[in-house]
Amino acid sequence: MRLLLVEDEPDIQNFLKSSLTEAGYQVDAAADGKTAERLVIDGQFDILIVDLGLPDQDGISLILKLRQLGVRAPMLILSARRSVDDRVRGLEQGGDDYLTKPFALAELLARLRNLIKRNSPPGAEAIRLRVLDLELDLLRREATRSGQLLQLTPQEFVLLEYLCRNAGRVVTRSMILDQVWGMRIQPDTNVVDVHIYRLRGKVDGPGQQPLIRTLRGVGYVLKDR
Amino acid sequence: MSSKTVKPVMRSAAWRISLWATLAFACGTMLVFAFLHRFVADDIQRRSDAWLSGEVEVLGDVAERTPKDALYDRVVGEVAELAGKEVPNKLLSESSSNDSVFFLQAGGDGSRQLWVGAGDGEPTLKAIQAVKIVSDHPTDLHVQGFGVPFRVASIRLDDGSYIYLGLSERDELRVLRSLRLRFFLLWLLIVLFGFGIVFFTTRRMLSHVRKIAEAASRIGHSDLTARVPTTQKHDEVSNLALTLNHMLDRIENSMHQLHTITDSLAHDLRSPLTAIRGKLEMSLSAVMQVEQAEPIVSAIEELDRLTDFLNKSLDVAEAKADALRLNRVALDLDELLRIMIDLYEPSMSEKGLHIRLQSGGPLTIEADAALLHRMIANLFDNELKHLPPACSVTIRLSVEDDAASLILDDDGPGFDPEVCLHLFERRVKGRDSNGHGLGLAFIDAVARAHGGTVAASNRESGGARIIVALPLASNQGYQSPVPAI
Repeated sequence: MRLLLVEDEPDIQNFLKSSLTEAGYQVDAAADGKTAERLVIDGQFDILIVDLGLPDQDGISLILKLRQLGVRAPMLILSARRSVDDRVRGLEQGGDDYLTKPFALAELLARLRNLIKRNSPPGAEAIRLRVLDLELDLLRREATRSGQLLQLTPQEFVLLEYLCRNAGRVVTRSMILDQVWGMRIQPDTNVVDVHIYRLRGKVDGPGQQPLIRTLRGVGYVLKDR
Repeated sequence: MSSKTVKPVMRSAAWRISLWATLAFACGTMLVFAFLHRFVADDIQRRSDAWLSGEVEVLGDVAERTPKDALYDRVVGEVAELAGKEVPNKLLSESSSNDSVFFLQAGGDGSRQLWVGAGDGEPTLKAIQAVKIVSDHPTDLHVQGFGVPFRVASIRLDDGSYIYLGLSERDELRVLRSLRLRFFLLWLLIVLFGFGIVFFTTRRMLSHVRKIAEAASRIGHSDLTARVPTTQKHDEVSNLALTLNHMLDRIENSMHQLHTITDSLAHDLRSPLTAIRGKLEMSLSAVMQVEQAEPIVSAIEELDRLTDFLNKSLDVAEAKADALRLNRVALDLDELLRIMIDLYEPSMSEKGLHIRLQSGGPLTIEADAALLHRMIANLFDNELKHLPPACSVTIRLSVEDDAASLILDDDGPGFDPEVCLHLFERRVKGRDSNGHGLGLAFIDAVARAHGGTVAASNRESGGARIIVALPLASNQGYQSPVPAI
């Protein structure tokens, strides 16, 4: 997976580069728009991360320029503006995504994965999800663990489905709020934790191997091994 | 035209102005005409009186000189008839018999000696005897059987008989009536025409003002980059437009500066925060023991709270300056509240709180979805943080006065009395609160940015009440404050 990182802050560029490399991406970095254009002409990238606040030009115009140059790869837009402006929303509808700074690394990685998945040719949509002994029937909206039917509310099922689709990977609270409840909020209370806690009470019965793990300060992960 | 379209016209300023102007004009011309009419009528009367006086003298002369023989009646009668044909102001008579003039010679005893005119002259004689006719001065005489009075002049002959010459005022009145009729028709035409001209001119002029007001109102509510329409003319109205635009330029400029400052502030703070968070996360992934991870994790959590604080402070600051940027979409408040309650209910029941929604079904408003999500999350976070166990929260959603009304009641301890007055100010919080005191200020900021209001109070039965009112549609905000012109 080749990734182009366009970010001018050296600190952020460094830690992103190392984290992304660690996550298995082959990272090229550019500190300004000119370099980014040159790199795009030279090579093919599968995904791009573009910071909007570049020293030499506006990030939006860079993105438009890159699209003109024939870049079809999805882009993840990083923005330090707190309210993401309309132009970015417009781009997001075109298959791209955005993230405001500061962000959780786990969230960045998850959004990258989502973007790649969304842009890859669709395979047969699974009607069953299986993680270890946990099994989800997406048509009948039923979940079983070791063959035992779990009594889940529809909302809990959606939450578990989201965890299963990201099994083995960290999901943050804001990702859960975004994907399961459809809102980008940052509650300063434990609303998500209580949902997870309740779900865990139903999924991880006594004597069973706990599947849903909490990573404090980061989020949750559904164990897949 | 339906009454809906008529009403605003009748209530418009153009209508009132043209009505008053026309009224003043109509009264003025009417007064002038009254004077003219009086003058003309007097003049006509003066002329006919002069004719009567002259003619009656001539006739008296003729009567005296003519010998009183068998031919007397014929001679005087013919002279009288001849005189009647030279009547001033005479209109073409429809009948051959001359009924506009009469000649009467009556004896001193009141007997009729000679009559020239329509009919036998009996009623005329009776009328003359009923009124005292002073010689040489013509007087009005009403004769039975004639609609219009006669003007009668008399002269006393030496033989003691009287000669009366009467001239019907019919022709005079007819002239005046036709004068009045023509005037009224013309007057009506001019008044209507004048009303039309005044109305359309003021309306056209005021429609510019109205357009300016509408545009200004629209600008006030949404788009600061728009300008009010200007005209090429250099009159007061176009001056108003230019002044307004000039003012808007300056406001937009300062707003732009504010955006630039907040944006660069946000950017300058965010980049180091991102770098710090990233480094912390990387070191966290390198740490294996839980004990070592603890300080890093709490540092990340502190950092997230700092970010949240930064976001809210900037939002509140911008909203206080009415500069919060909105991206309005149609939003069902009922659905949003249900999702939010679904999200918060577990945490609430975990704490022993109950939450309930009373709603009359879907209620769509135009609002910035992200801001509204955060606003409602803030409201719920507040309840969750501050209510003691076993309390309940009731949310009522309804439509009141073209606004969506969201009433949040709880039966907790209510607001701290000492902060109650300053609830919506930044950094105001209760003594036991561990928040940063931005919650309600943020809620207020979002509501105001949408043209709504927030009110918070303590209920009489105990507990707190927060009322959020949001306009149903964004365009309603700028239609109502502009009155019809």
